[in-house]
Order: sequence, then C-alpha cells, then structure tokens
Amino acid sequence: MNQEKRIIAGVYHVSRGLGKHFSLEDINLQVANGEFVFLVGPSGAGKSTLLKLMYMDDFPDKGQVVVGQFVSTRMKRKSIPDLRRKIGIIFQDFRLLEDRTVFENVALAMKVTGAGMPEIKKQITDILTRVGLYHKRYDYPPALSGGEQQRVAIARAVANRPAILFADEPTGNLDPVATKNILELLFKINAGGTAVLMATHDIELVRSFGQRIIYLEEGRVALDKEMIFVGDIRDRIGGSSVSESASRLSEYDITGGEEE
Amino acid sequence: MKPGELRYIWHESTGMLWRRKVPNLISVIIMALSLLILITFLAVTLNIASLIEKTSEELRVYVYLDDGVSGELSRDIQIRLMSEQGVDEVAYISKEEALEDFRETLGENSELLNAVEQNPLPDSYRIRMKQEYIRSGVLEAMAGRVGQWEGVEEVVYGRKWFERGEKLVRSFYMIDLVLGLIVFLSVVFVISNTVRLTILGSSRTIEILKLVGATNTYIQIPFILEGALQGVVSSLLAIGMLAIIHRFTLQYLPGVAFIRVDAIAVFVVLCAVIGALGSMAALRRFLKM
Repeated sequence: MNQEKRIIAGVYHVSRGLGKHFSLEDINLQVANGEFVFLVGPSGAGKSTLLKLMYMDDFPDKGQVVVGQFVSTRMKRKSIPDLRRKIGIIFQDFRLLEDRTVFENVALAMKVTGAGMPEIKKQITDILTRVGLYHKRYDYPPALSGGEQQRVAIARAVANRPAILFADEPTGNLDPVATKNILELLFKINAGGTAVLMATHDIELVRSFGQRIIYLEEGRVALDKEMIFVGDIRDRIGGSSVSESASRLSEYDITGGEEE
Repeated sequence: MKPGELRYIWHESTGMLWRRKVPNLISVIIMALSLLILITFLAVTLNIASLIEKTSEELRVYVYLDDGVSGELSRDIQIRLMSEQGVDEVAYISKEEALEDFRETLGENSELLNAVEQNPLPDSYRIRMKQEYIRSGVLEAMAGRVGQWEGVEEVVYGRKWFERGEKLVRSFYMIDLVLGLIVFLSVVFVISNTVRLTILGSSRTIEILKLVGATNTYIQIPFILEGALQGVVSSLLAIGMLAIIHRFTLQYLPGVAFIRVDAIAVFVVLCAVIGALGSMAALRRFLKM
C-alpha cells in the first residue's frame, strides 16, 4: 500500500452480520487516491456486503468506514445523497432506467445535484463520447447490448467526476469481448485519476493486470498485495505471509458461482 | 435546495406521469369506481335527508276551538299561541273555510256533504312550527299545555304518525352513518393501496435515484404529486359518472338533487389529500424514514 498517498476510502476493523451468510469479520483495507484495486473472492465471500458498507447502503456492526470526508459512525442519513454524488457505483445488472434514454439516464446523476442544463449537456456529451455511445444517446437501454448498457452505467457513475468508483461484478453479465472493453474503460477512467475498487469472483480475469488484489474469503481479507500471476493461479497465489490463504486458494473453484 | 433542483423535480413529476400513464390510468379507474360508490351513497343520503326535512316542514299543528267560542277569546288564544316557543305562523281557519277545504278535498264526492244540515267542523288555528322545534318532545309538551286552555277543544298534529316517523328517521341515520363509515374506510383503503401498488412498481426507479444521490425530497415529491393528482382526477371522474346517473334518475324521480358544489370541492380536496398521504406512507418503506 502506498503510505504517501492520501486514502480516499478506508475500512477499519469492520464487522457486519456475524454468523450470517454474507458476514464480514474485522476487515481492514484502504484505497488511495487514483488507485485501482481488485476485490476478489468466491461468491458469498462478502464482496458485495463490503461494497455496500463503503457506499453506505448498509452500516457496520463494529468498526468504521471512511469515504472522503464521510465517516460511517458519524454519518447522518440526510448526508447519504451527498456521499453518493461524490462517488460512482456500477453493478452487474447495470441498474439503468429502461424508460429513459441513454442521455437521460446519465443526466440523472447530474440533475439530482441541481446542476444547470448547459453544464449537464456539455459534460454528458463529453462522457458519452468517451465511452463511445454519443451516437446512441437517444436510444433506450433495452435496445443496447449488455456491454453498451454497462458503459452507460459507467458514464452515469463518473458524470459528477467522482474520486472513487465502486464496481460490483461489473462484467458478471458480459461476454469476454465486452468484459475486455469494460475493463479497458475502467482502466482509462482510473488513468484519469479516479480510484477504482472492483469486486469480481473471476480470478482468471484479474490475474494478468499486475494490480493490487484484495482476496476476500469467508468474510475475511485473506490476501492484499500487488501481483501478476504467471502460469497457473494455484502455483502463484500465496507466499510466506499468506500460506494459510494459499492453501485455501488451491481449493478455490475459479469457475465461481452465482454472484450474491 | 437549488432552484435548478426544483425545476428538475417538476420535470421528474410530469415525466413520471407521462411514462407511467397506463398504470396511472388503471389506478385512476379503480379509484374512481370506488369513489363513485361513496358519493352515490352520499347523494342518496342527502336526498333522503332533504326529503325528511321537507316532509317534517309540512307538519301543521291544529288547535280546534270549542263550539261557540267568542271572538274575544279566540283572538286571545291566537295571541297566546303566537307567543308559544317554536311557533312560526298561526293561521285562523273558520268553520266555513274548513268546510270549503273539506269539500275541495272530497272533490267529486263533495255532494255527500249536502246530506249534512249543519256544519260539523269547528273553528281552528293552523300552526306552522319552526324547523328546529319539530321534535316529538316539544310538540307533545305544547299540545298538552295548549289543550288545557279555556276555549280549546283539542290539539292535533298526528302524534302517532309523527313519532313513528321520527324513530324511523333516527334509525335510518344510524344505519346510514355506519354504512357510510364502512364505505368510506374501504375507499380510503382502496385508494392508498392502489397508490402503494404504483409505487411498488417504481421501486427500481427509487433505488436508482437513491444510488445517484437524489435527496428524499427529490424522490418523494413526484410520487406525492402523482398520488394527489390521482385523487383529484379519480374524484372528478366519479362526480362525472354520478352526474350521468343523476340525469338518468331524474327521468324517473324528478326533483332528485345533485351534490352541492361546496361539497364537491371538499370531496375533491379530500381525495387529493388521501392520494398524497397514501403515497407518503408507501414511500416511507423505501426511503427508510
């Protein structure tokens, strides 16, 4: 972890729903400004639960979550919309409004902040061009492919120029080509300075990027390091400090399962 | 809240109404039909009530005088009657006038009266009571008092008929009130439930709005306006349907009254409030308030 960088999102000794299926126990992790982090782990490991705590759709039983100036233990419900405007969130199922055009879907994120219409038009033209969907701005989501819908969702997520983007299995519903495109887009956004925390159960997907990987298993952080996998994943994961998780990883079914 | 936000909330509201025109239309029809039941009930009640009032207004108390009462005593009785509480108007009916009236009442059979040599009818006073004093207790007390007076033979107002009618009216209002309450509560239930269902259908929209950082106000206002508008449109629709029914009824029952304009206004406002409150109640769940 880069200590010299400013932490944009941090989770400190967080526990949630102990004894339940999607439980988390004493989780610690920090994401620095401009960092790209993969949050990997099998289905049911608690990835979505952890992300929910970070965009404060849920709150921890123990510990605290800090995102920007927002602190979970001192958070008022009223300021949740403020937080949401300063972060971006995307999901496996895109969560677009199917009865609104691509433009209106992206504009929504800016409209709720009360931004002026000229500003919205300029910004959205720019973003839609960057995600390569400006020519489809008047289309409705059902007319788009999965990859295109996810790009609309990404455009909406970054419309307010967030400092961090949370991505919960963003490629879970996509074919390999669309998956590659979305990942490239996320890297591009990251290169622009936005930190990205992307949850995925697909370890094969992340193995070749050399990014920081946080491996979550049974509600605990089993591994947190920057790495490149060469060859078979089962030969590479682990090391002296994570021998325990490495042995568990060897049983890890990389085909994964249904996302929670 | 920025002024820009307010404008978007307005756009959001109108846009939502348009996008959800089909479910909204269905809701409005369901609500209008149940409201129609309520206002039809109301109209029937009001008509029966005014019928009862009119009938009781026609009640007259007759004070029959003894045979051969002097003019002085008769006038004295009239003055005393005028000062009785609740008396609105006192009219003198001489025995000749009474006979003439009787003859008219008999019509074709009036020659029967020719068989009678003497006029058997007494002089009398016909009293019209003020509306609020037409109650069996008041009438009975007055009849008792006046019946004691010198020169008064009998006081008649159809006591048995009147008391029975009064009892009937009282039980009618009781049953009407209970039924009205049941109908009203069911209508409130139907409206709030219908509004709730349309909101349930938008749970995804609400979730997405929250996701992108919309405030509760931003999310709520369109739904509350929608609920209120549903209330207004459905109540106007119900009134329209009742107007058609009313016109149709007039052919068979002339004189049947429609609901008064001020009552209509209250009704429409009430429906708007119920619609808005229904929306708010349904939203509470989604917005964790």
